[in-house]
Amino acid sequence: MVYKFSLSDPRYRGRSIFAIFNFAFMVILMACMLLPIIKVLADSFNADTVYGFNLWPSNPTIDGYAYVIARGGSEYLKAFGISVYTTIVGTFIGLLLSAIGAYILIQREMPGNKFFGYMFLFTMMFNAGTIPLFLVIRAIGLYNTLWAVIFPLSMNVYNLILMRSFFEQLPKALFEAAEIDGCTPYGIFFKIVLPLSKAALASIGLFFAVAFWSEYVQYVIYISDTDKYNFQVKLRTLVIDDTFTLDSNFNASLNTVKNAAIIIAILPFIFIYPFCQKYFMTGVTMGAVKE
Amino acid sequence: MAQPVQKGNYDHIIVKKPSAWVRMKKYAGFYLMFLPVVVVLFIFYYAPMYGITFAFYNYKPNGKEPQFVGLANFQKLFSDPTFWASFKNTLIISLVNLALATVTSVVVALLLNEIQRAMVKKVINTVLYLPHFLSWVVVASIFMLLVQPNGLLSQILHLFHLIDDTALAQTDWLTQKSCWRIIFYFINRWKEIGWGTVIYIAALAGISPDYYEAAEIDGANRWQQTLNITLPSLSNTILVVFILNLARVMNIFESVFVLYNSAVYSVADVIGTYTYRVGLKPTVGLPNYGYSTTIGIFKSIVSLILVLITDEISKKVRGYGLV
Repeated sequence: MVYKFSLSDPRYRGRSIFAIFNFAFMVILMACMLLPIIKVLADSFNADTVYGFNLWPSNPTIDGYAYVIARGGSEYLKAFGISVYTTIVGTFIGLLLSAIGAYILIQREMPGNKFFGYMFLFTMMFNAGTIPLFLVIRAIGLYNTLWAVIFPLSMNVYNLILMRSFFEQLPKALFEAAEIDGCTPYGIFFKIVLPLSKAALASIGLFFAVAFWSEYVQYVIYISDTDKYNFQVKLRTLVIDDTFTLDSNFNASLNTVKNAAIIIAILPFIFIYPFCQKYFMTGVTMGAVKE
Repeated sequence: MAQPVQKGNYDHIIVKKPSAWVRMKKYAGFYLMFLPVVVVLFIFYYAPMYGITFAFYNYKPNGKEPQFVGLANFQKLFSDPTFWASFKNTLIISLVNLALATVTSVVVALLLNEIQRAMVKKVINTVLYLPHFLSWVVVASIFMLLVQPNGLLSQILHLFHLIDDTALAQTDWLTQKSCWRIIFYFINRWKEIGWGTVIYIAALAGISPDYYEAAEIDGANRWQQTLNITLPSLSNTILVVFILNLARVMNIFESVFVLYNSAVYSVADVIGTYTYRVGLKPTVGLPNYGYSTTIGIFKSIVSLILVLITDEISKKVRGYGLV
């Protein structure tokens, strides 16, 4: 229902006043969301040591970024590369595992189907805990490799079940027809199921990508080699470190560098976010409004 | 004139379901395809369950074989004040956070729903969802810089003469016991307030406009409509989200892990972070794998009980379980 906006017409006055206040509230809320990010952005270009309220650099410099890029013989660039690598590989493996698992779960006639379903569900209800998983990862030789981060994260039961609810909406008749025409399970999976589920793959793929890009805890637990850390871990170490000193040829303060590193960490996401937002939405509503 | 179709007697033909073996052979290709998923699931979810037995051992990485100690770790657990403090903190922090999340998300969703122009709504949504996708490390970093000595928060307080010059230059607000939880709740709301509304907005879109039209004819104003139509229609969704989150209250870890510090252990330490310190990175001595497994098991059992309880509630309220 669309109401007319009018302050003079008594029928619409109350609603119009509410609309103004509501809009003002939303503007304030948006400002609360954006101000911390804008502040970090401004400070990342500011060479001063103490910042005031300014949202514009009072002493502009790009040396904060220059320092992050140059630090430790491009140590941070390498960490950024590891972030990109694990995000791509992890998202691919994660999507593959979720899609296959979901595909098996929709084979209602398949003996063991129910059992497989419970096998996944049980892991959502009970898990062994951090230390036993740590000991397993160490025992099979994955400790201190990137696989110790990639595998546990790519087997995501929530995403798998989300994918299943998507696959369940595909018309069964298509599968039957393909089967009669002699299509193998693999053929049906790759030629029918996946091409029809592009939206689901895009949105679940984005969830995986964000999770891999943001990962921090797995690295801290399963990796001891500092040159296998991703950008998040490097950022964390940098922000809690108050002792490092900059070369005098950098015109930047400690805080400038920290702010610059934060901006570098969120930059890739900010670029893709406006274009992918609808896929994030599909993912959530798909899982939620199923009933 | 057509002959009436004679009904045959087919009783002698029994349609037998093929034997399990025959059906399994038919699905052989599927099993093969499924194998990698089972392997990964087994290694990373089921194999660690064997490690649960370490709860009955004294196991430290000191070169010695794990030594069976029976229930000693459990006895230690029940008499460990640090553990109980972390248990209490877990419940308080998670539940307060959950309550705040429910209220703020519903209110913001209702207000967003009142915005008429689709374009404006879209812009607001885009901005409000943004922080949800930032990692906890990034969010913690942003706010650590804002609440550090001479940071934005101190500057604002100083401007209103609420703190003096020394406090301005020295106070790191995240190390203050009295402030830590408030800052934590605030940061959580900042990150999740927008994303929390998504599900309610989807539910709001599903309410039939007929109700509102009927109410309009009956002379109900917008506020009455909200109270009598919108909120009752949302109640089911609110409850579902609430119980789903209730099942997860014990899992709180990363958000606390990146925001806490040794100065605020008494108000911030949760089970997840305590397990981490005992089992992986203790400040003194060797990691204690046995004892931290015990803590993990306790946590998993409490979680499981919460899941079963919420499943029961869900069955009573919605007629079916959580999944």
